[in-house]
Amino acid sequence: MSPPRFRLNGCDRALSGSPDRSLLDILREDHGLMAAKPGCRIGRCGACTVLMEGRPVTACLVMGYRLEGAEILTADCAEAGPEVAVVRAALIDENAFQCGYCASGFVLALASLLGRAPEADEAEIRAALSGNLCRCTGYASILRAALTAQDRLRAARGSAGAARPHATRPG
Amino acid sequence: MGSGHEGVARPGMSGPSLRVLRPHDSGEALAALLRHGAAARLAAGATALQLDWAAGASRPDLLVDLSALPELRGIDAAGGSLRIGAATPLAEIEASPAVARAAPLLCRAVQTVAAPAVRMLASLGGNVAGRAGCCLPALLALDASLDLLSEAGRRRVALADWLSRAPDPASLILAITVPAQPEGAPATLRKVGLRAAFSPSVVGVAGLLHLDRGVIAAARLAAGGGPVRPQRLLRSEAILAGLPPEAVDWVGLHAALLAEIEAPDDGLRSAGYRRRVAANALVAGLGGAGLLPGGRSPARHRPVGGCAPAGERTVSRAADPAGWHRRPDIADKVFGRLAYLTDARMPGLLVGRILRAGRPHARILAIDTAEAEALPGVAAVVTHRDVPGLNAFGIMVQDQPALCGERVRYVGDAVAAVAAVDEATAEAALALIRVAYAPLPVLDTPEAALAPGAAQLHPDGNLRREVRVTRGDAAAAFATCAHVVEDTYVTPRQMHGFLETEGGWARVEADGSLTIHAGGQHGARDRHQIARLLGWPEARIRVVTSPTGGAFGGKDELTVQPVLALLAVKTGRPVRLHLGRAESVAAGVKRNPMRIRMRTGCDAEGRLLAVSVELTADGGAYASLSPAVIETALEHCCGPYIVPHVEGVARLVATNNGTCGAFRGFGANEMTFAIECQMGRLAQAVGCDPVALRRRNLRAPGSPGFFGQAVGPSERLAAMLDAAAASPLWSAGPEPAEAAIGVGLALNYQGNGLGSLPEDRAAMELRLAADGAIEALYGLDEIGQGVQAAIRSAVATRLGIDRSEIRPVTGDTGRCPDSGSTTASRGTFVVWEGVRRAGPAFARALLDAAGRRLGRRPGDLALGPGGIREARSNSGRPLLTFAALASGLAPEALPRAGAAFAFPKTDYTAGNARYLFASGATLARVAVDRVTGEVRVLDLHQHTAAGPVLDAAAYLGQIEGGGVQGVGFTLTEDARMQGGRYLASNLDGYLMPTIADAPERSRVLALEELDPGDPYGPRGVGELGIGAVTPAIAAAVADATGHWPSVAPFSPETLLRALAAGGAA
Repeated sequence: MSPPRFRLNGCDRALSGSPDRSLLDILREDHGLMAAKPGCRIGRCGACTVLMEGRPVTACLVMGYRLEGAEILTADCAEAGPEVAVVRAALIDENAFQCGYCASGFVLALASLLGRAPEADEAEIRAALSGNLCRCTGYASILRAALTAQDRLRAARGSAGAARPHATRPG
Repeated sequence: MGSGHEGVARPGMSGPSLRVLRPHDSGEALAALLRHGAAARLAAGATALQLDWAAGASRPDLLVDLSALPELRGIDAAGGSLRIGAATPLAEIEASPAVARAAPLLCRAVQTVAAPAVRMLASLGGNVAGRAGCCLPALLALDASLDLLSEAGRRRVALADWLSRAPDPASLILAITVPAQPEGAPATLRKVGLRAAFSPSVVGVAGLLHLDRGVIAAARLAAGGGPVRPQRLLRSEAILAGLPPEAVDWVGLHAALLAEIEAPDDGLRSAGYRRRVAANALVAGLGGAGLLPGGRSPARHRPVGGCAPAGERTVSRAADPAGWHRRPDIADKVFGRLAYLTDARMPGLLVGRILRAGRPHARILAIDTAEAEALPGVAAVVTHRDVPGLNAFGIMVQDQPALCGERVRYVGDAVAAVAAVDEATAEAALALIRVAYAPLPVLDTPEAALAPGAAQLHPDGNLRREVRVTRGDAAAAFATCAHVVEDTYVTPRQMHGFLETEGGWARVEADGSLTIHAGGQHGARDRHQIARLLGWPEARIRVVTSPTGGAFGGKDELTVQPVLALLAVKTGRPVRLHLGRAESVAAGVKRNPMRIRMRTGCDAEGRLLAVSVELTADGGAYASLSPAVIETALEHCCGPYIVPHVEGVARLVATNNGTCGAFRGFGANEMTFAIECQMGRLAQAVGCDPVALRRRNLRAPGSPGFFGQAVGPSERLAAMLDAAAASPLWSAGPEPAEAAIGVGLALNYQGNGLGSLPEDRAAMELRLAADGAIEALYGLDEIGQGVQAAIRSAVATRLGIDRSEIRPVTGDTGRCPDSGSTTASRGTFVVWEGVRRAGPAFARALLDAAGRRLGRRPGDLALGPGGIREARSNSGRPLLTFAALASGLAPEALPRAGAAFAFPKTDYTAGNARYLFASGATLARVAVDRVTGEVRVLDLHQHTAAGPVLDAAAYLGQIEGGGVQGVGFTLTEDARMQGGRYLASNLDGYLMPTIADAPERSRVLALEELDPGDPYGPRGVGELGIGAVTPAIAAAVADATGHWPSVAPFSPETLLRALAAGGAA
């Protein structure tokens, strides 16, 4: 039987090793992808957040056997979609991180939220990011960046809509 | 075995292997369960299972993975009720329109489970099967039932019945069926946790009233979650049946609920609290909110307004876009490509692991490493026998063995370490090291350690340090006071909680020198300590400490460096070592838990007459910086106030608890909690507002400091009080029904630098690099605080060049001069002062070199963005770029200039006293929940005066981040210990604030102006942000409830009682 495969940052990858190895270890030790960080290894800090089928999961809680056929995107990926790009730019403009160890997790959790719920209000943004701990910033800078990213995505959608003559836009 | 896909796990070189079965249908899953019995475990998301494993549970032989079984997945809304496959992830349920429509209670319950990323994996079946899940109260209120499969076949059982019977291990849950929630039926749901989100459950409740023609036809009330057994509350339900909702006797229902709900104590919350909160939540949620206690302080004295100080400005990107600069490291961090020292990987890199004592106090009888050394793949095992130099470290006192040989004094003591080819082998080797211990009595409180006859943990005794201060005659002065307040303030064993745990790598270089890359806060001192351990000259060791993923004082002392050094030297190969969180919790230093008994008296007009303070700090097993912490605490015992009579004593006691040491605030914030609460209480006693009382006692600028020492210029305490008085928070917002609102104020006055006694020097260097960059070399560490941004700002301003032309080089003893420690709010001043001193000489050197190149007189040239310019020209282009200048110069001819200087010190040397201070006023507006007594910070305004802001983003980040660390200290954080062991080993039990716990709104304001002639420039703000948060929140809580909380983290239980009693608790 051929080894199980999964998609990692757009490439086909074979899985090897024990089925209970964590995706976090697979990323860091097998593939040299270091953006996902080990902060607790029990899903309580969010520093190892990656996207699985487009939705944030903590890589430390995903055991290898769950990966068969899965689509994984990590924050190492430079081109990770329009939301990720806008979220990154906003986080950079806001200087939203200090030590930065939690940054990758926030990038993906926030980008995923704004992709799914572009009009999320502040309470929803907080709820969506509540699994990502940051010990340095006190979160205010991350929230500001989230709102900035949301505004920019909204503006981009607006201008994209305006460019299409028949697009309908909410008043 | 069936035809399902199987894989085999082999953790380590030995031990049992774990197989995973991915069955094709539920029958195959059941068959596996029947065949393997207790050796098999069902899992869908496996999230709870992995928590159990992390907590020490052994892995099963066989994991039966249900996550991909189609018949266990999905939501079927046909026929009015919902049928939810047991393996359906919670995130799918939460997002399902069908669930939102038919069972909004369940939708809300699901959202209270863990966090979104965990809910992607965790399933509803798993939440039910564990019998402790947060969805159970809602499912009980909805009268859910379970579809089960066992050898007897399929059957449907009411959830309530299933819960009332013992678990049947030979069955599996196929689906959960939930009858539709009647539209418009009164319903409520509440999960109470230990923090605002992603929390273990304290108690959860759900209630649903079925109405029929205006009367309650049926009521279903339920409680459960976490330690609370899931339960229907039938007797209470009976009270409601048959009544119109408006006729419900809420008082009677509340009493019935209190009598009926069963709940346990667990040391975090009492059974009585859980019952009361559950009853409150059900009654309030179903319509009886009016019953909740009002709670309001009898008299609120608010400042009468005033003018904010001229020149105070909001620090934010929006307020000053032109003054907002990108951090040099921010893009790499956001793109996930910054290489932390624990991320290093290279061919041949060994993996190190440390064997910890795992017991609080024992004599070591024998250590046998033979088996571990014989394990294939093990490169080296080290013990105390491998320490060639002094087997002891400690910044102040060298009392902590790098590897213990005779005795262990706390759970985190290192006993041996291994280096192996991979993680699994290293772990297996650790298990093969045999250590024989003879237990010794455990001293788990300062009282036990000071009791007569207690075992002595160190030759100098268990009282590691006692510091006293006496001024005037406090005892006599108290007799003349019109008002005296006294309380004992208790502060938590706060954990630094840096996201990057301690770690790094080391190797012996080709020239025989040793390089250690490990997060830290003072590479030169780390090098000094490592050299002493190895018996090597310091010059043979290089320590790299930047970048570090957070420190906050917790990486000031050595962490993994001794073991890294020993393993690298013994193996001759590169070794990495990165502590897991549980090991970090066990081994890392913490904030000293303190008990501060304080008595404060004033005359009838509120003028302070006397302060008496007695502080006892738990130091844990080793000294580290704790002696200095208690000294700093005592130095701040009168805050910024004039007190004629003072008697104070601070004691540091060694125990077998976790070692304590430096943590942001360094004793000052703990003491500020005490003195500022005392000031607030005296204001109440005198009958004046909190600003007025403080103003009456404020020290005059330029007057002698607490010890009578000379202090530096530019005190801004009065201005901070003006800002506080003018704060819009005093009159903000209406009072909602569900919470009591209060506003509180506290001042702080934070010393900068190490003080008058320790050596506190700094050196730095500026140079033109071969590529044309202006390098600024400082031995300070980039721990996230933004020292690199501060360096760019200071150098750019001084030299008149662009920030982007400056390359900060930090945290590397091989490249940077020793700038002293990255602690004590000293880095900002060091950066600024260094370039103030070295800048002019460096500029001259650049202009001289450029003059030679261009054949011009240096005096006709000037520095500007891009390079060397015509001195008297305003036009843009430089005559010579820095790169062009550098390219024509031999390496030794590249211009450079350095500076070495002492941090400003005061003249006082009878004790450790500070010279430079930064001031602040913190205002908090809080909501105290009438259902739970929980405190939520609505607004946190931090007024600061710390001289010119070097870098707005770094300044803002330090104050905001310190503020939320203070919120954690105040409301949720405590690394509790019992019998010398930590009760929480990871971030599921140690609860730092999440984004949901952070203040709803925060503001940082800065007053930058210095006194004319003040030569000291910007002060540090690393500690200012945490300094006054706790007393500000305490004052706000007192404003809301009438009760002054004195034990941090504040107990919701106490506050709920206070609300009920109108302030008395």
